[in-house]
Amino acid sequence: MDNNELLFRLKQTVGDDLAVLETINNEMVYAVPVEKWLNVAALLTKEWGNIHLSAITAQQREELEGQIEVMYHFWQGQGITFVLTLPADHPEIPSLIEMIPGADFYEREAAEMFGIYFTGREATPHLLLPDDWDKAPPFMGKEIHD
Amino acid sequence: MTKNIIPIGPQHPLLKEPISVNIEVSGEDVLGGSLRIGYVHRGIERLAQERTYVQNVHLIERICGICSHVHTTTFCYAVEDLLGVEIPPRAQYIRALMCELERIHSHLLWIGILAKHIGLDMVFMHSWHNREIVLDIMEALSGGRVSHAANLIGGVRFDMDAEHESMVRRKLQKLGDQLFGVLDAIRTDPTIRARTIGVAPITADQIREYSVVGPVARASGVAVDMRRDSPLPPYDKLDFNVITYPEGDAWARTMVRVDETRESLKLCESILDQMPEGPVTTRVRRKVPAGETVIRAEAPRGEVFYYLRSDGSEFPARLKIRTPTLAALSLIPVQLSEIRVADIPVVLAGIDLCIACADR
Amino acid sequence: MFEGLFYLFVFPGLAFQVFCGLAFEWVDRKLLARFQRRVGPQWYQPLADLIKLFSKEDLLPTGASGWVATILPLISLAAVLTAGLYIPVAGFTPFSFEGDLIVIVFLMGIPTLAYYLAGMTSVGIYSILGGARSLLQYFSYEVPLLLAFSGPAILSGSWSVAEILKSQAELGPFILFQPVGFCLAIAGLIGKLKRDPLDIPKAKSEVVAGSLTEFSGGKLAFWHLTMDIQAIVGIFLLINLFFGMPLGISPWINTLIFSGEVLLVIFILSASSSIFARLRIDQLASLGWRILVPVGIIQLLFVILMGV
Repeated sequence: MDNNELLFRLKQTVGDDLAVLETINNEMVYAVPVEKWLNVAALLTKEWGNIHLSAITAQQREELEGQIEVMYHFWQGQGITFVLTLPADHPEIPSLIEMIPGADFYEREAAEMFGIYFTGREATPHLLLPDDWDKAPPFMGKEIHD
Repeated sequence: MTKNIIPIGPQHPLLKEPISVNIEVSGEDVLGGSLRIGYVHRGIERLAQERTYVQNVHLIERICGICSHVHTTTFCYAVEDLLGVEIPPRAQYIRALMCELERIHSHLLWIGILAKHIGLDMVFMHSWHNREIVLDIMEALSGGRVSHAANLIGGVRFDMDAEHESMVRRKLQKLGDQLFGVLDAIRTDPTIRARTIGVAPITADQIREYSVVGPVARASGVAVDMRRDSPLPPYDKLDFNVITYPEGDAWARTMVRVDETRESLKLCESILDQMPEGPVTTRVRRKVPAGETVIRAEAPRGEVFYYLRSDGSEFPARLKIRTPTLAALSLIPVQLSEIRVADIPVVLAGIDLCIACADR
Repeated sequence: MFEGLFYLFVFPGLAFQVFCGLAFEWVDRKLLARFQRRVGPQWYQPLADLIKLFSKEDLLPTGASGWVATILPLISLAAVLTAGLYIPVAGFTPFSFEGDLIVIVFLMGIPTLAYYLAGMTSVGIYSILGGARSLLQYFSYEVPLLLAFSGPAILSGSWSVAEILKSQAELGPFILFQPVGFCLAIAGLIGKLKRDPLDIPKAKSEVVAGSLTEFSGGKLAFWHLTMDIQAIVGIFLLINLFFGMPLGISPWINTLIFSGEVLLVIFILSASSSIFARLRIDQLASLGWRILVPVGIIQLLFVILMGV
């Protein structure tokens, strides 16, 4: 499946909400609404096959106040990144571990560092932080020296 | 039989870095296991946002004690990508040379650890003895045995003269002479074969599901190598083989690393042969223009992933690091079933644990 | 009376065996180090280690039985020291009697049993695993070892080590008649001493230190001493059964030959612990019962037919 076919299938799955952002460093970047994310993931894993999830990056952009951006970086011969935007007060996103078990650690890290809820999985126990960490998620505070 | 829990870690003779694996056993049979990491979490991703790019090169170097150079290399390429700077070709080759030396040293370290785990101390000592030669080369070139601080944004910190080059060639020759005997012995030794063949096989499907990279994936027949698939310069100009073995067991994981060590030795030679003349640094600005980039590079343990976003200031706005060990760690609970207690070290060693990398 | 005490405590008893045990440990460690391109320890290092261990604090985990933990290393030390008394050293045999080979084999089995009990009465999971493994290992190596020992006994027609030694002086070293038996005996001895590659009960990367994980201080020192003396007694026994020496020339020449043979066996042990990886317990069991035992029986049949 080449880029054009992927774009066609993505448009079929997502509809008009799909946005093709400018490529970064030969990576294709698509913005996908959260509601359609499971459909897109199913398209990637079931029909495309052999997809490799490199990482999940969560971040807050200064220009997008009150929102958290989650990026899923895939690789299959070339990089493909999907960008999802979540509200910061209640960030919720469907979990991919049913389709990609390897996403477990990345989701747990995003959950503890940004307070993102992953639905469709039992829990997100701490991956890196101590079990008794009761402060705010480390990346959400403006100051780290608290 | 009664079920028992064997706690391996956070401190255990098996481990060089702290993780905790609780393994459920019944007699000598392993039933399952659970994993906890995070004991050496330093929050480097967050710390990087508080430091300038120049400071970050040195912070990033502290992610790992074994593959420190590949981390700084990837970070520097990411920053240079945002800056729109291409470093001089000679600097690219020196970076690649250090990367390959690091791969040899990491694989030799791993072979030694595997041998130690299966009670073969002689191979452990000989392999680490040979590793000292690589460390000597790296020290002679950069001044540091473990933390080389070789990279700057915009080039490398040192240049090689003719004397350096002949020294590196001489020592690599010596290393090759000494090493090939050891590597051949590892391939043919009946006791190593008895301990590794058929132990904890991983299928290619599992590799894909768990997004595992590097030698572990290549040992299951999945030919991924970011040096070939997404080459940073100068790997696009270099010729090398991607080693794969179809079996997927501990034996294949050993052999992949053994063969890659030879391959890296050859690669070092060809890097030295092709090395162009010229400067090793370019001038770069302190402030990095706004933008974002993704860089994938091949560390000794597999694909290392860097996402870097700049907001135009001296400080990175977001740095995401995904290290190869983090991906491979999720395979440990999968492998910890239908094996014997004696296979636990082989399974844990097969992943090539680098906990400092995984925890960051 | 005085002579008996001298035999018991000086030669070939306690002092001599402790000296030989520590010397064995040093030679072994030095050889291993040289195989591994290391320098190796100084000659006094085994003694220094022993003194250091005696001076360390003796800890006992909560829930473990103190007197059991104290008595087990002492019993095994006593057993190997007693076994050592009956073994001719350089042809010198003060306590020899018919059937002493059986007694020696029995006494040499006691440390293994004590090791097993030490693991089972401890509280840690590593100790329990190590104890269970030591017993499994015992069943795998003991039968080939006994088969190997009975070869020389049948060949010489006596179950006394001194008699076997004497008949070797007439017939020639038994290793010439039964090299396979000697190899079996070496394999069995490695298993008995829990040395690499058969250090399964105390494999560091799997069960930390096996039964001895929870031991410390003086008790651990006694265990280490037991292991050393067990090794030297086993090596002496092997030499008497398979190498022999021309008797009655001069005690000095005998001592010289004997020392040379001891060093040869230590070299074989060190080399085999350097070049083999540790086996799994199931691999050891199948090696013991599928290969070593049949080979041992064939060897024994051969010896019996040759004797006729």
